Amino acid sequence: MIEGRRNTLAVLATVAAAYAGFWYFPELGSTELNFEDVQYPRGFRRLSASESSSGFDLFIGMNAMGPDSLADAEARVRADICGALYGDDLSATQRVPVAFFTEYYCPYCRVQTRTLAALDARPDSNLRAIWHELPLLGQSSEVAAKAALAAKRQGAYVAFHERLMKSSFVATPEYLQALARDIGVDHQRLITDMRSAPVTEELENSAALARVFGIFGTPALIIGRTIIQGQIDEKTILRVAEMEIEEDWTSQCQTA
Amino acid sequence: MNKFSRLFVAKLILLVCLGFLGAGLASMSNAAESGSFSNPALEARLIAAENGVGPNATSLSAGRHLKLGEGWKTYWRSPGEVGIPPSIDWAGSENVEEVELLWPAPERFTAFGIENFGYHDEVVFPLRIALSDPGAPVRLNANVTLLTCSTVCVPQEFTLTLSLPRASGIDADAAALISAYAEKVPEEGAESGISIQSAYLDPDMTALTLVAHSERPFAGPDVFPELGAGTAFGKPDIRLGDGGRLLWARLPVLSAAADLPDLRITVTDGDRAASLFTELADAAPQPPFALDRVLPGLAELAWIAAIAFLGGLVLNVMPCVLPVLSIKLSSAMKSHDQGVGRIRKGFAVSALGVLAFMWSLAALTLAARGLGMTVGWGLQFQNPVFLAVMFIVLAVFSANLFGAFEIELPSSLQTRLARAGGGKGYSGDFATGAFAAILATPCSAPFLGTAVAFALAGRLLDIAVIFTALGIGLALPYLIVAAFPAAISRLPKPGRWMLWLKILLGLALAGTAGWLFWVLIGVGGMTSALAVLTASAVLVVILSFSRLAAGARLSGAAATGALAIFLAGFLSAAGTPNAKPATDWAAFDRREIPKLVSRGEVVFVDVTADWCLTCKANKALVLDRAPVRTALRAPGVTAMQADWTRPDEAISRYLETFDRYGIPFNAVYGPGAPEGIVLPELLSSEAVLSALEKAAERAVASGG
Repeated sequence: MIEGRRNTLAVLATVAAAYAGFWYFPELGSTELNFEDVQYPRGFRRLSASESSSGFDLFIGMNAMGPDSLADAEARVRADICGALYGDDLSATQRVPVAFFTEYYCPYCRVQTRTLAALDARPDSNLRAIWHELPLLGQSSEVAAKAALAAKRQGAYVAFHERLMKSSFVATPEYLQALARDIGVDHQRLITDMRSAPVTEELENSAALARVFGIFGTPALIIGRTIIQGQIDEKTILRVAEMEIEEDWTSQCQTA
Repeated sequence: MNKFSRLFVAKLILLVCLGFLGAGLASMSNAAESGSFSNPALEARLIAAENGVGPNATSLSAGRHLKLGEGWKTYWRSPGEVGIPPSIDWAGSENVEEVELLWPAPERFTAFGIENFGYHDEVVFPLRIALSDPGAPVRLNANVTLLTCSTVCVPQEFTLTLSLPRASGIDADAAALISAYAEKVPEEGAESGISIQSAYLDPDMTALTLVAHSERPFAGPDVFPELGAGTAFGKPDIRLGDGGRLLWARLPVLSAAADLPDLRITVTDGDRAASLFTELADAAPQPPFALDRVLPGLAELAWIAAIAFLGGLVLNVMPCVLPVLSIKLSSAMKSHDQGVGRIRKGFAVSALGVLAFMWSLAALTLAARGLGMTVGWGLQFQNPVFLAVMFIVLAVFSANLFGAFEIELPSSLQTRLARAGGGKGYSGDFATGAFAAILATPCSAPFLGTAVAFALAGRLLDIAVIFTALGIGLALPYLIVAAFPAAISRLPKPGRWMLWLKILLGLALAGTAGWLFWVLIGVGGMTSALAVLTASAVLVVILSFSRLAAGARLSGAAATGALAIFLAGFLSAAGTPNAKPATDWAAFDRREIPKLVSRGEVVFVDVTADWCLTCKANKALVLDRAPVRTALRAPGVTAMQADWTRPDEAISRYLETFDRYGIPFNAVYGPGAPEGIVLPELLSSEAVLSALEKAAERAVASGG
């Protein structure tokens, strides 16, 4: 009966493992992620569980940028969607790119920023976050976005971002000056960069991408080729990233 | 509300009465409202209390009416840590001198630690419009910008226009709506009976401390200080004193702007609210009482550990565990030839097995918490797969006790280990201990709720200490045998009585399995439960089919078991909402509690679940019996029931506010206890009645 005993032990161990697994991870295999393909850009899809854009007018609130300036930007990003979305070094890394559309005055953006920054920073992370400033919520929001992009040109994007995401603020010139001093960036250069063409272009590109992808609010994520509107939890981000790897999202960017 | 808006309300109420009169006379009614702007997040329109501008009218009462989609929110004039307040530009309006917008008291939304203030469902911002040319037609042109958020934030920009000709007559519905929300606008004078006594902001700008006073006791107050757009406050620590008339609050400053405007504090309490400008004081007011220290002291930890130890010990005689212990003892008795050393070590290893399982539970708990998952004792009973696994194990075990087949403790590994180590192997003993601990979990929820909830909420040290104490308690019989192996020979010799004992234990196990089956019906639905039942029956038949080889039998059994587990999850209806409570009970709605309490009512909350045996006992012995049953049905008492049979985020969060992670949970709210009196897990009629009485106390006093 030696074999029988071994089998008994094996059954018991299986039961114990299944029990422990399902106790602590009740979601295992429970919910299914559903996607629907989008008409354009071809090959991209939308996570069905996320907020739907139907019924919303796209691009209300983009007060400072008229439709004309966005038309140019739209032509630019349509020419190379993956490049505009994820940057140029696509092949340099195996990680799934996550384009994150965010801004400083939206409560859930703060939540999503924390989740994503933590995921991005993990040493074994299989995803890579690309930040897109999408200031939909008025002037202070737009000033903050420009200041962050200007700070990026002095290598202080993360520091700036973290500060703005932590506090409540009104992006007045005085506030920016104090912030620049605190973080150690050159205030004069910051102001000049904020007004510069590259910063404006970067903002316009993000806005044009949002329009192309039908993003009507913040936060929004595009993971590989999956568009997700609204704040989602870490687990869902990781699951989608996992599926993107399995289904080889890179084919999308080679053809597009 | 200031004197002005008081007049505003009075006028509106008059208008409402006139409106009903007018409706009775079937007067020509062109309700004055704008076209609406709508999308999935909101529906917005302008409404006016009157159908037009009456002769010589110098002002109008109107409102901006927002209906928000499910899950959508919009914000107050101070949106909180982050967000945008709504704004209206009246450019393009005609015959409008000035518009005053009144802000109804906001509510607090907390999501992921971010505090926001605003509105959900529906809100009307009353508008008082002063006309430049009395009696002349008016055109309102509102260019509205506001932020709506669900899990996504969408800015809204739209224009609403409303033309009011020269006309008279009242739109009763609009007038009623406007006046209802005008009532919710905080008072700006002493009318509310709420006053701010002192407010202090420390020089380092770390926290705002304030004291407010109310003529009648606070029920469920909240505090919203405003100190300019660049300054944000965190969640308030609110404490009531002086019979609920004194409110002390401390709010951490999250960020502070360089120059600060005058401090304005809005205090809300049920239906009343006050918004008051306040001078800052030089010293911090003292709280009416100190909160218990957050970290448990050594004595408390020792006490809870002792409870956990006793709880673990008691588990040994539970139907889930007793068979394991008796099998272990009888196998030791059978093998009297074994040396004392072998028995001693064997039992010690079994005890270690129990402890090892407990420690891995503790480690998993910590890991799950680290990943931000909700952990709770008894939560596993919300999972159909877990229930299926436990049901199968119990069914197989009881079939074994009834003699359908024999489970042999594995000796192959023992032999192998013995060869390698030169001594006797102990893996079988270890497995026995771990198995006892695994089987103990279904029975532990009712007994260990307090200790485990304490551990789950606690630090690393608390978790380690409590799970260890639990393990030692459960392992005590094994430890005793290990210490005194001679005790075994004192046990009655094996004989016919063992058969009866086995059948008795088998019945106990079958009973437990029956209970789990019933729970599974509640959690997973009938289809899922029947599938598991059928698969378990097949499994037992396969195991008892003695003509098959042992290996084939076990493989078949394992396959059937896996199938049952899969079916349980696959067929489960666990996604469907929890059943509506029985007719005598109102459905649990956390938001209703402060409202009912502010009306002087008493609210009894019962969080229960099909799988919670103690809850059933509480119900049968206390709640459904006179005198409690009568007391809960008395007028002025609302009994609310929250069904936690299946996972429910709202209920979990509610429990968490009391640092509870398991049920039964019962609480009583009332004018005398707005924060709620939490009742012990095991209810008694006296405890419930005295809590109900205490909660109602002030209602009687103020009503009389």
